Amino acid sequence: MTINNTTDYCIEPSLYTIKSILILDNDGERIVSQYYDKELLPTVKEQKDFEKTIFKKTAKSDAEIVLLEGLTIVYKANVDLLFYVIGSSNENELLLDSVLNCLYDSISMLLRKNVEKRQMLKQLDGVFLAVDEICDGGIVMEIEPQAVIDKVAVGREDLPLTEQTVAQVFQSAKEQIKWSLLK
Amino acid sequence: MKKMGKKEEENGNPYQNVDRSTALQEAKKFHETPLRPRLCSETCTKVIYLANQGEEFTTTEATDFFFAMTKLFQNKDITLRRMCYLTIKELSKMTEHAFIMTQSLTKDMNGSQDLFRPGAVRALCSITDPTTLQSIERYMKQAIVDKNTAVASAALISSFHLCDKAYDVVKRWANEAQQASSSDNQMVQYHALGLLHHLRKRDPLAIEKLVVKLSRSGLKSPLAYTLLIRIAAKLLADDDDRTALFDFIESCLRNKNEMVVYEAASAIVNMKNISHKEIAPAVSVLQQFCGSPKPALRYAGVRSLNKVAMKHPSAVTACNLDLENLITDSNRSIATLAITTLLKTGSESSVER
Repeated sequence: MTINNTTDYCIEPSLYTIKSILILDNDGERIVSQYYDKELLPTVKEQKDFEKTIFKKTAKSDAEIVLLEGLTIVYKANVDLLFYVIGSSNENELLLDSVLNCLYDSISMLLRKNVEKRQMLKQLDGVFLAVDEICDGGIVMEIEPQAVIDKVAVGREDLPLTEQTVAQVFQSAKEQIKWSLLK
Repeated sequence: MKKMGKKEEENGNPYQNVDRSTALQEAKKFHETPLRPRLCSETCTKVIYLANQGEEFTTTEATDFFFAMTKLFQNKDITLRRMCYLTIKELSKMTEHAFIMTQSLTKDMNGSQDLFRPGAVRALCSITDPTTLQSIERYMKQAIVDKNTAVASAALISSFHLCDKAYDVVKRWANEAQQASSSDNQMVQYHALGLLHHLRKRDPLAIEKLVVKLSRSGLKSPLAYTLLIRIAAKLLADDDDRTALFDFIESCLRNKNEMVVYEAASAIVNMKNISHKEIAPAVSVLQQFCGSPKPALRYAGVRSLNKVAMKHPSAVTACNLDLENLITDSNRSIATLAITTLLKTGSESSVER
């Protein structure tokens, strides 16, 4: 594994802050896996080994933050799912933590508070879109869960969109936002 | 995939039987009229799921899928379109013929449907190489300064990604990025600052001007602050003429956001040739973090104090009591860091207690 273990702060200022976002189930199998740093774990095998290691280390503890293999890992568990956000050991831990919270909260809103595997698999498209709105290629896109939901939830009505006019869609989107504000 | 099959059945995993060939065969549906957006979107989800599982698509498979996907751009369903963008991004690395999507994406990027535009920009840039970049340069410049903040953000981060491949082209967009850096939107400002800094890396004077300007006018987002602190700290490391930059970093210790406060504190304690007087306020901030109920905050605090203790043990002695409390922390990383820090600053007795 190639990880530069510089103890000095002098971290190169860059928009690239997230190395990976993972969502694993309670067997340690991946549901979502995004590796943004291609040099970090180039092969699928290395990635899966790495996932096994972090799963073993984190599944039965609620420590929420851990330093492993020279990487800072913040995580959160719920029922049968584990959410991870991973950055370099020099990265601002609170930045990683706010990305994790955004990931968790927006998915929780998306799944209407049923954060568990079955529900997540039912709405996997929304989950992928949410992850994509939070982080693009290692750059943080958004840390406000409501903003993520607004971008993802558009058009997720029960009526197929083809049967609505554009004006109707806008109206229902507006209403959704209004209600989320009133709550 | 195969080995998970049985177990997943009991969980009712709808993706249990999904493999590459079935998912790709479903692309047949893309040619139907009328198109069923739900089903097509599901097929895209399956492909993305497989890519997430680490499945590799061959060049032919990815290319064929792309060709089929061009059909989907005739439909206006928003979820479907967004799944298309995502699929393009996921599969673009696996084919050299991704350019067949260029036309559809350019159209979406400049179209009237605002909900399509940011996704289209990001997908388009993921399939663009230096030679084709020239042809969309004009649109990219426009997108960076677009009124729609999601479009501006998407264009800025895509430009940042493109710097690896086509630095010389992206460099010409500095003026637009400059304009975006004064945006009222938090994320746009953050992304603009990141791009501007990257484009001017070789010109410390220009960067310093940028930092001073932005630190005076104040920033909107905590992320932009952390980046600006990092840039300022980097400048300081190369040049000791510190007053303005150091004052800016120090002023961030009083920011409302913990993320910014921590970034400033860790920038200060990691500076070379720093005096005790200068380091004291940063240490006291880190000390407060050690008593926080949030594990991430405690971890951040104790980890930085551990680094300070290596160079300035006497500055950390004041925190010994807080560190002692952390020895029994439920997070083992925090406890270990507390012990090693105390070994440097305290006496043996404090660790034993």
